[in-house]
Amino acid sequence: MSATFEPVAGVDEPISPVPEGPPPGDAPTTRRPGFLHSLRKGRGLVGVILVGTVVALGLLAPLLAPYGPNEQIEGANLLGPSSSHWLGTDEVNRDVLSRTLFGIRADLVVVFAAVPIGAALGVLSGLVTSWWTTTDVIAQRFFDLLLAFPTLILAILLTAFFGPGLFTIGIVIVAVEIPVFGRLVRTSVRTIREMPFVEASQVVGAGSWWVLRRHILPNSLEPLTVQLAVSMSVAVFIEGAMSFLGLGVRPPDPSLGSLIKDGVRLMYNAPFFAVGPLTLVVALVLGLLLISQSLAEARRV
Amino acid sequence: MSPRLAHPRHPHPRRPHPRRPHPRGRSRLTALAAAALAAVLVTGCSSAVDELSAAADEPQQGGTLRIGTTSDIVPANTFTNSSETGDVLVGAVYDTLVDYPLDSVEPAPNLATDWEFNDDGTELTLQLRDDVTFHSGRPFTSKDVEFSIKTWADPLWTVQLQRTAAAVTGFDTSDEHAITLSFEHPVSNIFDLLDMVPIIDSESIDQLRAGTAWIGTGPFTFDSWQPGSTLSLEANEDYWGGAPLLDGVDVSIIPDPQAQVAQLRAGQLDLVTGASGRDIESLGNDERFDVTEWVGAETQVYVGANVQNEALSDVRLRQAIAFALDRDRIVEDVYRGAGVPSSLPWPEYSPAYDAEAAATYDYDLEQAKALVEEVTEETGQVPTLPLTYPAEQTDFGAIAQIVQADLGEIGIKVQLDPVEQAESIKRLIGGEFEGLWLLYHSYAQYNPSTLTVSAYPFNADKNTSGYLDAQYQKDAEAAWKQKPGEVSDEQYDALNQDLLDGAFLLEIAILHPQTVTSTNVGGLDQSKRNELRLTETYLAE
Repeated sequence: MSATFEPVAGVDEPISPVPEGPPPGDAPTTRRPGFLHSLRKGRGLVGVILVGTVVALGLLAPLLAPYGPNEQIEGANLLGPSSSHWLGTDEVNRDVLSRTLFGIRADLVVVFAAVPIGAALGVLSGLVTSWWTTTDVIAQRFFDLLLAFPTLILAILLTAFFGPGLFTIGIVIVAVEIPVFGRLVRTSVRTIREMPFVEASQVVGAGSWWVLRRHILPNSLEPLTVQLAVSMSVAVFIEGAMSFLGLGVRPPDPSLGSLIKDGVRLMYNAPFFAVGPLTLVVALVLGLLLISQSLAEARRV
Repeated sequence: MSPRLAHPRHPHPRRPHPRRPHPRGRSRLTALAAAALAAVLVTGCSSAVDELSAAADEPQQGGTLRIGTTSDIVPANTFTNSSETGDVLVGAVYDTLVDYPLDSVEPAPNLATDWEFNDDGTELTLQLRDDVTFHSGRPFTSKDVEFSIKTWADPLWTVQLQRTAAAVTGFDTSDEHAITLSFEHPVSNIFDLLDMVPIIDSESIDQLRAGTAWIGTGPFTFDSWQPGSTLSLEANEDYWGGAPLLDGVDVSIIPDPQAQVAQLRAGQLDLVTGASGRDIESLGNDERFDVTEWVGAETQVYVGANVQNEALSDVRLRQAIAFALDRDRIVEDVYRGAGVPSSLPWPEYSPAYDAEAAATYDYDLEQAKALVEEVTEETGQVPTLPLTYPAEQTDFGAIAQIVQADLGEIGIKVQLDPVEQAESIKRLIGGEFEGLWLLYHSYAQYNPSTLTVSAYPFNADKNTSGYLDAQYQKDAEAAWKQKPGEVSDEQYDALNQDLLDGAFLLEIAILHPQTVTSTNVGGLDQSKRNELRLTETYLAE
């Protein structure tokens, strides 16, 4: 049998302040060791190395690239790989290696900016709305609406409004990630809110915002971390797909997706063209998936 | 039939036969048997190849030609020459009164068998064939000529020769098989109009505009059209010029040129119209395909400038852009040499052709930089200019990036603005480009007045650039209001000077259209209008 305790009006903190640290009841004591440690060995380590290498190549592009990404080199029309141009040149006389290195940066922006923004908005909206029934219903229907659109259809729709470009790719990824993270955090909220330590903190007068901030959010973070890694790999796909369809980064700026598109177009004339960008996309996606798998496994321990 | 100037670029190279290893260490009998077998195989292969070639050279009856195009029909734009599918449709379903051979602008008879001008060139009497019927069964008469020309003169249809059609002010149709056209003044490009105006069935014009039926007198009849997907035509067995060899034509609308080429390679198409210069070169090196270059049906690739744009309103800036275009590089790198760099649109056989004038804006970065400096000293920094181009055509993507780099060299920043083909045509007709744009134009293969009086980008009275210049208008009118063939060299020189001085339309190169077919397609021809002639086309087995 349980009793209902109404919070005291105007008081957000509990009347008997719950001390910082382990909450009362059955709350987990500390984060399991090994959650992040899992990235130091096995597939987690491989993932970190793969992602780290690609990120480093992207960040160091100005130092590593022998030419500017849009520099047109006289007489270098669609050359094959050579000591001067490791990955050859394109039909507009640009060094493919340099474009590939700079192209990583577009993917880094969507992976490390758009995905976290989408995740933050999704978590926030899921966390807040799922606490109350009315807002929960409204938010869930909105998430249904967003999830009803296949990603590429949503991308085409949003491109019609914002025009093609990196900004639009970012908007698409944010729009795709909000319901994913919103749903995920909702599931956590509905589980954690029923746990005794949450009930206990309400009994002693903790307000909704305090409980959400101090109990629900910290205990929901683990699954979100795994999802973040998965979403980052999906974001690489989305960038690639949108640029491949001509909805992504505008020419002449490179991105891995647009370089693969050029490579496919020139497949018969320059089969070497897409090798570099494809390798990097594979490394980035594989690395992020390995990290997510490793984190997911660590959670189950 | 008109003489065919086109020539296959790559005459079916044969693969060398692999060298056979010497039969060492085997019995003489085995060696002899192997040699005999090899001889039989070699002979057999050679015979098969020869038979195939012979078959491809022999006209054959039957079969459906499968064509791949990149752009679909817009029914209201059927006659604007702005869609590859539309060009196939108009070329196959309709006939014209006269027909230019590819290599000249001397009209040859078609639905009109004979013609005569009055002394001052203000009346033209045409004798018409009396054995022609529309696909609906209705006989073709002089009334249909009147209806067709009046349709072209109607601004509703936004055809490019609208002004020339509107110059026909009188129609004497008292004889069903002859018509006299009257003009307020002589019209130097009147035969261009008669070569281009398809004879339209007045009874089905509403269906045409709705896209449900196209009825003409041509060698093929309209069967069906699935928007964005396919167009089917059937042979007109009662065609006055003799039934076509093909049973029909299926056009697949495939906006992605790479997908088109992939389908051609996979044997799902017989002919493609939208392959990029690079793909055409690659296909030409493949013995399974023929590349045909049509000399006499040229198109031009150009950079247009909206002179209403504040920065581009300064002619010096437009001239600087003209000097900065690396035309040779574009022709070599993008079109793989299938074109001629030029500052003017006229091909060599045109009466307005002037080799010296065509080199006016040859690549000269120093001159371009000097002009830009002059402008920036007076008006400040040149703002970033948008360069709009159709995204579907990969050649335009490459050219746009070359132009962007070229202009970057002289301090002009350009932002690329790829749009859909249909959108670019809409902006071309409506004059809605913000700054620079990149497109093809045609019609320079005709009498020069057709370009300067009637084409969207050039029309002296109303053009896409918004360029209105009294001298250009006067010179365009003067060259237009002459009897055909009587325009003087001085008048053409004046027009050339106007085009060069105005620099509102910056030519890059004159291109020879190329068609890629599988080797089993024979008898293909093309009109000066850039429409396929399929009457004698056949498919070898």
